[in-house]
Amino acid sequence: MEKVVTGNYAVSWGARLSRAQVIAAYPITPQTSIIELLASFCADGELDARFIKVESEHSAMAACIGASAAGARAFTATSGQGLLLMHELVHWAAGARLPIVMGTVNRAVSPGWSVWTEQNDTLSQRDTGWLQYYCEANQEVLDTVIQAYKVAERILLPVMVVLDAFVLSHTSEAVDIPDQDKVDGFLPPYRPELKLDVNDPHAFGPIVTPEHYMEMRYKMQKAMEEAVSVAQEVDEEFGEVFGRRHGLVEPYRLEGAEVALVTSGTVTSTSREVIDELREQGVKVGLLKVRLFRPFPAVAVRQALAGIPKVAVIDRNISFGHGGIFAQEVKSALYNVDGVHRPPIFGFVAGLGGRDVTPEPIKEVISTTLANDAPPEEILWIGVKK
Amino acid sequence: MEEAKVIIFKSEAEMPTMAASLANTLYNKTGSWRYMRPLYVDKTPPCNDACPAGEDIVGYLGLIRQGRYREGWEFIMQENPFPGVCGRVCPHPCESQCNRTELGEAIAIHVQERFLADWAYERGLRDLKGLKGIPSDPLDPSVPSVAIIGSGPAGLSCAYQLVRKGYSVTVFEAQDKPGGMMRLIPEYRLPREILDHEIAAIESLGVEIRTGVQLGRNLSLDDLKDYQAIFLAVGQSVSRKLGVLGEDAAGVLHGIEFLRRLDQGEKPSLGSRVAVIGGGNTAIDAARSARRLGAEVSILYRRSRHEMPAIYEEIEEALEEGVQIEYLVAPVEVLTEKGKVSGLKCTRMELGEPDESGRRRPIPVVGSEYIIEVDTVIPALGQVADLSFLGKDIKAERERIVIEDSGATTRLPVFAGGDVATGYGTVTHAVGSGKRVALAIDRLLRGETLEGFPPLDRNVHTVPRDMDPTVVGFEDLNLAYFEEEPRPRQARAPAEERVRDFTEVNRGFDEEVAVTEALRCFSCGTCNQCDNCLIFCPDVAVLRNGDERPYVFDYDYCKGCGICFAECPRRAISFEEEIKWKK
Repeated sequence: MEKVVTGNYAVSWGARLSRAQVIAAYPITPQTSIIELLASFCADGELDARFIKVESEHSAMAACIGASAAGARAFTATSGQGLLLMHELVHWAAGARLPIVMGTVNRAVSPGWSVWTEQNDTLSQRDTGWLQYYCEANQEVLDTVIQAYKVAERILLPVMVVLDAFVLSHTSEAVDIPDQDKVDGFLPPYRPELKLDVNDPHAFGPIVTPEHYMEMRYKMQKAMEEAVSVAQEVDEEFGEVFGRRHGLVEPYRLEGAEVALVTSGTVTSTSREVIDELREQGVKVGLLKVRLFRPFPAVAVRQALAGIPKVAVIDRNISFGHGGIFAQEVKSALYNVDGVHRPPIFGFVAGLGGRDVTPEPIKEVISTTLANDAPPEEILWIGVKK
Repeated sequence: MEEAKVIIFKSEAEMPTMAASLANTLYNKTGSWRYMRPLYVDKTPPCNDACPAGEDIVGYLGLIRQGRYREGWEFIMQENPFPGVCGRVCPHPCESQCNRTELGEAIAIHVQERFLADWAYERGLRDLKGLKGIPSDPLDPSVPSVAIIGSGPAGLSCAYQLVRKGYSVTVFEAQDKPGGMMRLIPEYRLPREILDHEIAAIESLGVEIRTGVQLGRNLSLDDLKDYQAIFLAVGQSVSRKLGVLGEDAAGVLHGIEFLRRLDQGEKPSLGSRVAVIGGGNTAIDAARSARRLGAEVSILYRRSRHEMPAIYEEIEEALEEGVQIEYLVAPVEVLTEKGKVSGLKCTRMELGEPDESGRRRPIPVVGSEYIIEVDTVIPALGQVADLSFLGKDIKAERERIVIEDSGATTRLPVFAGGDVATGYGTVTHAVGSGKRVALAIDRLLRGETLEGFPPLDRNVHTVPRDMDPTVVGFEDLNLAYFEEEPRPRQARAPAEERVRDFTEVNRGFDEEVAVTEALRCFSCGTCNQCDNCLIFCPDVAVLRNGDERPYVFDYDYCKGCGICFAECPRRAISFEEEIKWKK
């Protein structure tokens, strides 16, 4: 069934098709319509889930943690400040190895007060132990929610499915809504080995002394490492069942490129248009979309960028005191590996606080990269009024 | 039970994925961390507290909610044998105290009581022998016998409770039919078949009612000396006089006399213009009855609407039926022509300082007299008791017999109750008063003390439910669980139809409305098994296997966090400091 839905509704449909059993959420722009639709699915009996209204995002995640520990498939959604308020329990969910999925709509962090898109909210959760997928289009959003549960439940780590505020969250596109039977076949019910059971009580999240704590962290990292191949397998399996794949990264017209543009989120879809236009003019430029950010698919990135003379990364985020975060990740993926070509990395920061990233600034990124052998500055700001 | 054990893992591969104990944690009795503990303690709902008859209102609303109507009716019948009467005529002080008043309107308790009574009536349930606490064996002729003077609600309530306890009871009634003042309530409020049904049910238990026997006329207290106890429940039968010139003229007909003649099937000729004097329920009853006989009726009341003691709904219904009410007016002279009423001279009043009743005292406005033309004047200023039969050793004060909290007069084994002793003037208060005396007589005849009865303005119970006397206030409820919901109205015919005859005005609730209305009840202080404590307890320390109560706390694991106490919508859980080291 094809429906015209917003990016937010694509998240809701993804959670519905995944048969989420407990949904606990607190409203926040631009996420709210995700849980509104889910609430109406629950109210109308179209989704057999317990919808828990809570008093904050912190409580939303707490409820999801309890539900997931008890063996339920749990879902929540949030944005910006809400995600930051939730932060303590974002760590907890991962440390407790609970396969929760969260729809996360990027919203610039305040102050100044903003509801528009920017990645600093999710990227500041980078080290919590959550997987993060950054989506480009509504179909991908829906598909990624379903994939996310499958990956999460295999490696026992939670997943954020990230989409840009308004540019995607409130933009409608035609989306194929797969049949429930098909999704059920792809995603079987969650059956954890150890779960909260009042008839056989165990202590969950108890004190772990220095004797054992480090091993638990080691196992989380090992799970993250495994997640790369699991995500790859799940995406392939998804492709077999539904006829669509999204990849962990996606190279686009990189053949013979002099410049590889690296993007995430909705900047990618605009960049595709720019690449097509420039290729037509004979400019040798291609694109690498990074979909999976955590775990960072370093091998796939290295392979995609192999032999390309220059790389330009567009970051809709900034790590103050260092620079764009995707640029850092790409750099570190190329370092310390024998025999890997290390091209100059041009780190551009653009579109903060929801400023539009139209074809013009993207062309500026490419022309700046083509014009310089090395980045003239560590951070190349696009469109700052100086 | 597993013991605590320490496991040191040799490698990460041996360790669980999650930070969770491999052994179960039942050995760890976390209840030992507690210093506060919750307790299931039902508390007194404000309606129950306010019911003069001592009914467990929340108890039977809960039974209506579950469709258990017969049990609901029996629940009331334990305390009050007149639910069909009280459900229609009680001024329902319970509703004034109802916590729902703060969030929507009070629960329509009196209509719910009527619903249960009608449900039983429609099924012909009058055999009360099956009721809990009622002896099924025939009465032993050697049991002590009790004489009750007056078959009004106080007398019959007392008779009912005593006969259930196995006593032999004889009731003496001055009038031709039993029922006392209940007989004077007009039929449009209280159909006679309802009253007769409830009286007959009491008689069916073995209570003997001798009518036409009046203390002081053809019966004296000395005649009753063979009875082990005597209950004086003669009510107040003498009408207060207007105290103005001309009030003995033809055409002046006192309210209760008018109502008694109606009850006896007469249709007194009133002429076309009637003035009723007074602001109580008798005044309203007389006025609405006079409307039904075709007269134009004005009620003259010397204070304002705010002070009017009649039941609010009755005033509203009277106005709908075209009764005029003139406030701040008092009669100063009944005008006559040839010994018959021709008019009424009135004066305007104004309100001064509060009097001993707490209401502002009405004061005549000088020079404001005026005359209205009337054919009949019906004074309805209340009644006093005729105490001429009392000997000197039974003390009376201010026209009432003086009683202790037990109902005992100054001459045991003579007790008194109902209006002759309390003067409350409602059926429900009389029912409560009669029950109190029944409990006292039972104690006296068992040789027990009469001390310890609650004060006369408090209610008593024959089958008390186990509850804390603390009355639950609105602020004690958890309002997160309640929304404002409207109170349903009883169906009633349009006023212009009603005034054509004495057909009952209010039609009660049907089953669906009754259940919906029962669901609106907060169930203050009374566990109704909402499961909130069970759901919220983070330690799974609420168990659903109580015999006497629906839940029990597992104090082995209850840490005393108090969430159950906070989330109980109705304060059926208490939370107290547990001073273990004092044990």
